[in-house]
Amino acid sequence: MSSSFGPSSFMLSEYLEKLPGATFRKLYQQPSTAFAIFRRMLPHLAKVYVQALLYSPTPFTTNDLELWTRPEGKASSQRAIGILRSLHIIQVSQSTRAKKGNDIQLTANFKKSLRLALEGGGSHNSFGVPSTLPVDPKIDIQYLDHWAGRIWQDILYYVVNSVPMKADEGGRRGGAGGGPKRAVRELLKMGGLVREGDGGFVQISEHGFNFLLQEANAQVWTLLLLWLEAADRNKAAAKEQGTDITGTPIDNVEMLSFLFMLASLELGRAYDTSALTDTRKNMLPALADFGLIYIDRDRPQQYYPTRLATTLTSSSALRSVSASIDAATKKTPGDAGSLGTTGENAPPADENGGIVVETNYRIYAYTSSPLQIAILKLFCRLHMRFPNMVTARLTRESVREAIKDGITANQIIEYLAAHAHPQMVRAAAIKGTSVLPPTVVDQIRLWQLESQRMLKTPGFQFKDFESMEEYRQLADYAAEVGVLVWKDDRKGTFFVSKVEQLREFMRSRKKGN
Amino acid sequence: MPRAVRGVLIECEPAIKSILIHIDQELLGNNAIIEDLDETHLMVKEGMVKALQDRLDEKLKETYRVEQPLDDSDHDN
Repeated sequence: MSSSFGPSSFMLSEYLEKLPGATFRKLYQQPSTAFAIFRRMLPHLAKVYVQALLYSPTPFTTNDLELWTRPEGKASSQRAIGILRSLHIIQVSQSTRAKKGNDIQLTANFKKSLRLALEGGGSHNSFGVPSTLPVDPKIDIQYLDHWAGRIWQDILYYVVNSVPMKADEGGRRGGAGGGPKRAVRELLKMGGLVREGDGGFVQISEHGFNFLLQEANAQVWTLLLLWLEAADRNKAAAKEQGTDITGTPIDNVEMLSFLFMLASLELGRAYDTSALTDTRKNMLPALADFGLIYIDRDRPQQYYPTRLATTLTSSSALRSVSASIDAATKKTPGDAGSLGTTGENAPPADENGGIVVETNYRIYAYTSSPLQIAILKLFCRLHMRFPNMVTARLTRESVREAIKDGITANQIIEYLAAHAHPQMVRAAAIKGTSVLPPTVVDQIRLWQLESQRMLKTPGFQFKDFESMEEYRQLADYAAEVGVLVWKDDRKGTFFVSKVEQLREFMRSRKKGN
Repeated sequence: MPRAVRGVLIECEPAIKSILIHIDQELLGNNAIIEDLDETHLMVKEGMVKALQDRLDEKLKETYRVEQPLDDSDHDN
């Protein structure tokens, strides 16, 4: 898995790809959005292209660009250009100068906005307006981290807690404080992260499992995208009923660009709500429910972005929210009792690394966080619980159960490795081996293979080509942009995982003829 | 113009493939598989993948022997 293009940006990019070009043009009117997209969504090569094009007075031709990459890099170059096109960052047109090849240039809005973002000019207020009112001294970075961490843990714990538990464990979790807001719970349900089971109980779904094992950053985006989609749907519903809602057509553009703007704000600083448009003001309560911003009850004219918001577009994501707030929570142990979900006197242990995995599949996790225990429970059989530790064991059954619920072997392995005890990490570093015992890693993979007899790839099959030549051209292009999954030259048919770029390719080729 | 058919590509061993085809014929009324592509690939309707997978699991359960994991000395149950 490449680090710069993790699953999170993948999901966001899927959402963005579905947006029409006009939406992009509006989005890119905001320098903060253009900048965020540039930072977050592009692979390195694409960034290089954008940087080169940004101050170029004339468009480049495709032939020029081809000279930049070695022949073996052609595929990644094509992919970079494909991404840039799908995000409407570049436009490709028939070249006026060169006979063969196309002109490539940045789209006007993107170019203007990115330049503005880099040069810092203009009066667009796109990067937020700091509040001039006096600030409550108690609201510092630590306070915000603590607050955001608690909200987010509440949400995660709500998702995990919906794992069906045995009766003996069930009693303990009864009175856990509040939990996430109703709207957030509805959202989780609607997004299919949890589902309503028998008797009104909520149950975690396979999306929920995946959600839990993602990095924090990806989790936040997942939730935000769900929220955007929900807003879209509500709007459509309202339209159907003929209810008039003012200023709706730009709503999701506004929402999305507000999120990108939040990401560019400075942590620990108060910003002015009066500088926001109405749509954005309406978003504030929901964002507070997610823990992305903090609004002091006594000073509703100010909002504070939390770490969850300011890291939205950084690619070196937090491994987990708990890791980032860990420092904060540790320094304020007196507050631990008020952490609704951690209940009792839970001392926030080092959640980012307390798991020891032995070669005999035993697991010792030095943690008392119900969240981490609940996550372990997803793929281990728990045995004993001590005040600061649980023992568990990976078994064929437990892993298969997890896989059946949609967790992959890799996710389990990555989770264990990422949360490994420092002692294991050190020992591995000294011996130069992997952190987890190789036998265990292999076995988890084997267990997965056992239950995955078929490899599934959703997508499209292309067939009935007019000529072999047409087939070959299209299949080659599909391979170049990296969507080709399977092909049969003899029958003249192939299968691709994505169809958008091919469609465009066919269209442009048709024009060319 | 070529045609694009939406579906799920399934890759599996030939043995599993023949079981899948059998399941499709006997239990799902030829409703799942769109096309038999080659020895290891099938094209399946999107909505039918789960049904196919479930039936396959059932079928394989009949043939599968669950091995007891080796328990080590200090029994921990």
